[in-house]
Amino acid sequence: MAARTVWAAGRCSEQAGAVNRAVRRLPGLTQVRWSRYGPEFRDPLTDKGHCRKPAAELTEEEKYDQDLGKTQLIKAAPAAQTCSAFADPVISKSTNMMMKGGSKVLARSLMAQTLEAVERKQFEKYHAASAEEQATIERNPYTIFHQALKNCEPVIGLVPILKGGHFYQVPVPLSDRRRRFLAMKWMIKDCRENKPRRTLMPEKLSYELLEAFANKGPVIKRKHDMHKMAEANRALAHYRWW
Amino acid sequence: MAAPCVSCCRGLSYRLFLGLRVNFAQRQGYWQTLPVDAQTAPESQILRLIHTTVVTTKKNVSASGRDSYTEDFIKKQIEEFNIGKRHLANMMGEDPETFTQEDIDRAIAYLFPSGLFEKRARPIMKHPEQIFPKQRAIQRGEDGRPFHFLFYTGRQSYYSLMHDTYGKLLQLEKHNDPFPQKTESMNPIGSRWLIKEELEEMLVEKLSDQDYMQFIWLLEKLLTLQYGPAEEEFIQRFRRSVTIQSQKQLIEPLQYDEQGMAFSTSEGRRKSARAEAVVYERGSGKIRVNGIDYLQYFPITQDREQLMFPFHYLDRLGKHDVICTVSGGGRSAQAGAIRLAMAKALCSFITEDEVEWMRQAGLLTSDPRVRERKKPGQEGARRKFTWKKR
Repeated sequence: MAARTVWAAGRCSEQAGAVNRAVRRLPGLTQVRWSRYGPEFRDPLTDKGHCRKPAAELTEEEKYDQDLGKTQLIKAAPAAQTCSAFADPVISKSTNMMMKGGSKVLARSLMAQTLEAVERKQFEKYHAASAEEQATIERNPYTIFHQALKNCEPVIGLVPILKGGHFYQVPVPLSDRRRRFLAMKWMIKDCRENKPRRTLMPEKLSYELLEAFANKGPVIKRKHDMHKMAEANRALAHYRWW
Repeated sequence: MAAPCVSCCRGLSYRLFLGLRVNFAQRQGYWQTLPVDAQTAPESQILRLIHTTVVTTKKNVSASGRDSYTEDFIKKQIEEFNIGKRHLANMMGEDPETFTQEDIDRAIAYLFPSGLFEKRARPIMKHPEQIFPKQRAIQRGEDGRPFHFLFYTGRQSYYSLMHDTYGKLLQLEKHNDPFPQKTESMNPIGSRWLIKEELEEMLVEKLSDQDYMQFIWLLEKLLTLQYGPAEEEFIQRFRRSVTIQSQKQLIEPLQYDEQGMAFSTSEGRRKSARAEAVVYERGSGKIRVNGIDYLQYFPITQDREQLMFPFHYLDRLGKHDVICTVSGGGRSAQAGAIRLAMAKALCSFITEDEVEWMRQAGLLTSDPRVRERKKPGQEGARRKFTWKKR
């Protein structure tokens, strides 16, 4: 089993590499979606615990993966990624989506202020609540952020499909990545558009996050609207061919 | 003395042609062609040159295919190459016995400097096996009767290879116990099966993906049985080695200053920033960049996190002192350049396993991404001008 995967992995990457290199050499063909790294490069793993396991604890699969990793080329770690325990991939992604014009500094400070605002509000509520309620109040801003985004994720989406000269909105299952992206996108868009004048982004975003955490608010409503539309159009589901 | 020089020049001139696949027809003036003789003695059923030029003949190309080179011709080229190699070594003042291909390349680049951009258009001198395309030996005799018993399958090399491999498999199965217990896998990471292109090159035949997969499946089945040295040699013909990437990492040697403290220097680059870092063995975690403390030089948290990244990954946060110089680029590029320089310099103080961990974390790879150029007819690198209907 392991042996087969050796040659399969090696062959796939090399085949892809060979094909890609051949395409690059041909003068008439230029690839649009290309990267400075070749196709044989693998993404880096900045997780500290990944390499620390002593050899005795590794399973066969992990040992094999480790050995295979030794033969592969690895990309450089991006500038926003560290092995720190405070680095959260979801937060980084949201920060990037909030960024305008490449000012990562501003986006990151806004995100930090948002999380601080969330924490402050929750602590106020905590101190004002009675003993039984205190156990139910979540104070960690990261768990609130993750849970809020998870609550906003739609399960099914709509895709315009051209049939007979008309575009029909066809219900389609969404992948995990697409769902997470839509949740973040809706959240940020809503906070930008539907806020009263002179409200700052952290304030509005923290308010929306807390509402989404409690399964209320405009973003959750938008998710439900999407689900209702999909349910209404379920007769068109057979237009999908994939 | 004149005669060897002449032969060497001729030998060299034969060898020094363009690296592109040479059309046999164009070289007609230089090479001597053997005529195709219809009435030869029946015992001379060995390879004969079927010399075709594109210009003179459009007749049907026989089973031996396109323009072919005889074995004698190739042998002669190899001899001339070896003689030429020795003469070249003598010319460069090196020992002819230990003159490797890299030395040949260097000598040719020195003697025939070329400013051509296309590397394959420059003068080269390589072994004839690498220059002349591998081609099939002539497969039929004079009477039209093919030599190989599998000729009429159309792919005799592939099917004969499969036949041999399966024969070996059956033989081993006969001698072994019916349920073999293979305790360890005989596939260490250092080698891989050859890929479809390599197998095609070896057999000089086109293969389909299924054929290739069938063959590899057979070989893997062979691996599960117990085999002797003959089968081992057979299998090794189809294995290629894979480079262990961590061994390619260059580790800087340690230097010592006046107080006896060990330090290590290294450089790093990112976009247009160039950095050089000196990491001391013992210290308290202070980092000075261009004479300024890193807290003042990098007011942004993200940059300081990047500086801390290599040390944090190895749990050596407060243990080393660093003095670095950096120039060019922007703030993030400078931080990335210093990070790379520090990671490379740290390699001298840590074990090989830790070097491999750092490599897996992406700390030792130089980031090749640079700003993409603006193209003519577009507003930016990717952005096009606004489309106007009229």
